[in-house]
Amino acid sequence: MGIVATGVGKSIGKPIVRILGDISLEIRSGEFVALTGRSGSGKSTLLYILSTLDDASEGRVEIDGRDVARMSATEISEIRNERVGFVFQFHYLLAELTALENVLMPARKTGRTEELTSYARELLGRFGLGGKEDRLPRQLSGGEQQRLAIARALVMKPRYLFADEPTGSLDSANSEIVMKLIRESNRNFGTTVIMVTHDLGYAGWADRRIHLVDGRISSTPTST
Amino acid sequence: MMFLAVRYLLARRRQTLLTLLGIFFGTAAYIAISGFMLGFRGYFVNQLVNNNAHVHIQPREDFLSDHSLDREFFGRSYDHAFWDPAPSGRKDSAIVENPQSWYRRLAADPRVVAFSPQLTASVIFSNGKATAPATIIGCDPLQQMKVTTIADYIVEGSFTDLAAGGNRVILGDELRKRLGVRMLQNVLVASATNAPLPFKVVGIYRTGNRFTDQGAYGALADIQAVNRTPSQVNEIAVRLEDYLQAAPIASTWSTLSQEKVESWDQLNANIFEVFRLQDAIRYVSIGAILVVAAFGITNVLNMTVMQKRKDIAILRSLGYQSRDIVTLFFSQGLILGVSGAFLGAVFGYLFSRYMQTIPFTGGTMGGRAGGTLIISYDPKIYIQAVVLALLSAIVASLLPARAAGKLTPIEIIRAGAE
Repeated sequence: MGIVATGVGKSIGKPIVRILGDISLEIRSGEFVALTGRSGSGKSTLLYILSTLDDASEGRVEIDGRDVARMSATEISEIRNERVGFVFQFHYLLAELTALENVLMPARKTGRTEELTSYARELLGRFGLGGKEDRLPRQLSGGEQQRLAIARALVMKPRYLFADEPTGSLDSANSEIVMKLIRESNRNFGTTVIMVTHDLGYAGWADRRIHLVDGRISSTPTST
Repeated sequence: MMFLAVRYLLARRRQTLLTLLGIFFGTAAYIAISGFMLGFRGYFVNQLVNNNAHVHIQPREDFLSDHSLDREFFGRSYDHAFWDPAPSGRKDSAIVENPQSWYRRLAADPRVVAFSPQLTASVIFSNGKATAPATIIGCDPLQQMKVTTIADYIVEGSFTDLAAGGNRVILGDELRKRLGVRMLQNVLVASATNAPLPFKVVGIYRTGNRFTDQGAYGALADIQAVNRTPSQVNEIAVRLEDYLQAAPIASTWSTLSQEKVESWDQLNANIFEVFRLQDAIRYVSIGAILVVAAFGITNVLNMTVMQKRKDIAILRSLGYQSRDIVTLFFSQGLILGVSGAFLGAVFGYLFSRYMQTIPFTGGTMGGRAGGTLIISYDPKIYIQAVVLALLSAIVASLLPARAAGKLTPIEIIRAGAE
């Protein structure tokens, strides 16, 4: 179980620009992995390919032993819904829905809203959002919004949590809180975390760091 | 996705309301205009069908051609006369030839409810110094009552009083006013070439149609006497079991005789042409309103798709599929269409009820005295209005919804949607 990438590359645009090349790596279940590198090094692109949001131009990505390229659109949407949680740099919440409704949006897809409502409330309480379930995202602070986004990513109890610069738009105090929540989900629930960050301090919280330079892994993945 | 679609619509209330109004007015206008037009049309057709005969058998109409007069010259039709210039015009007969054969045929036909031989003559009425030219219809009153509804319009006297014979007449109300005559007074009736005969006024009728109310009715034998044309008739009015069969029956009968046989709808073909033109105008004008409303929906949805690119990316990352996104935006258009059509239909109905209270007597077209506008509430109007509104909303929503469904999350994320 885990994610295995073999010879993954990505090219985009006309004329073709190669932004990732020959990436091979394995992320084991329960790991906390940080993808680091400068802007434009291809770390976000790699994250999106590993998480099924983007396609690889070459190579193969396997999630829990299954080749993503061979999956149907329905299977990929099931993986996104049940096995994968996303946290983006910007919170990306639905402005028209309350905090609780935002958290329950993944559950709504499979008709599990009622089943997961108490768990969603529990998550909100744990993330310091207790009593704010009925507030709209605009009525919450930036840090609260990001915590809400993490709660939404975790409500389906996913096996994998993908985070793209989750602290990129937050101040240091809120960044600390968000990072603690991500680490807790990894340690307490065994969620595999793959996080893109250019903050080497937070990268140090991970079990392993993969550093990218110009779309390639610069050295052998290191354990901390 | 209906839940989220409703939230989107509620979040931009003003835009939603304006778009809704387009569909609303289109639907309401269709119902009100159609109700008015079809109501009047229904009334008019009803008048045509119920007040008059379904089939009219009248003297033949001959159009002169190069060889029409050959028989007059040579006694046989295979010798030809040549003309320079050729004769033209009509050589109509003034009477129905051999009406007895028609009576036998009509009496034996199970589709015929009743028939009434008539002699319509142009005469001059006079009462003292007051004179008025008018058309008088000589008929068998009992048969005439089975063929037309003239008896329903008698305001004084009784139509059956004509049956007693002895120069009796029933006058239209307009004619009565022009002659200044009252019930049971005598008026003089003269044809163009014959001496006047006295007739007693035994009834007055008022249909509301000014043209009809300028005429008169008398017993067939009396009018034949005034006209000096004993036993002759110039029309046989026929009432059928099924008025919708009038046209095919009239066409069949016309092939069996030389007489001009026309059904009520053939006789009023020009009016039905006007109705068809009205329909075309109605469809085009309402179509234009709904097209504008549809463009409104398309514009609003296109804008929403642009504004909600970020939401599309979120939903796709949460496992929602392309078809869910299509449903999300399509259902917004559908909600606008359904609510606009429903509210428009309700308003159209209420406005129709209001229109029904507007006084309208119909003038020369035959409205009811002291009546109001006649409105049709035919369910077909409402079904058509709702279907048209829904169709326009569906077509208008499809393109933006499909465009939204084609967006991939990574495209939006790369474009830095925020």
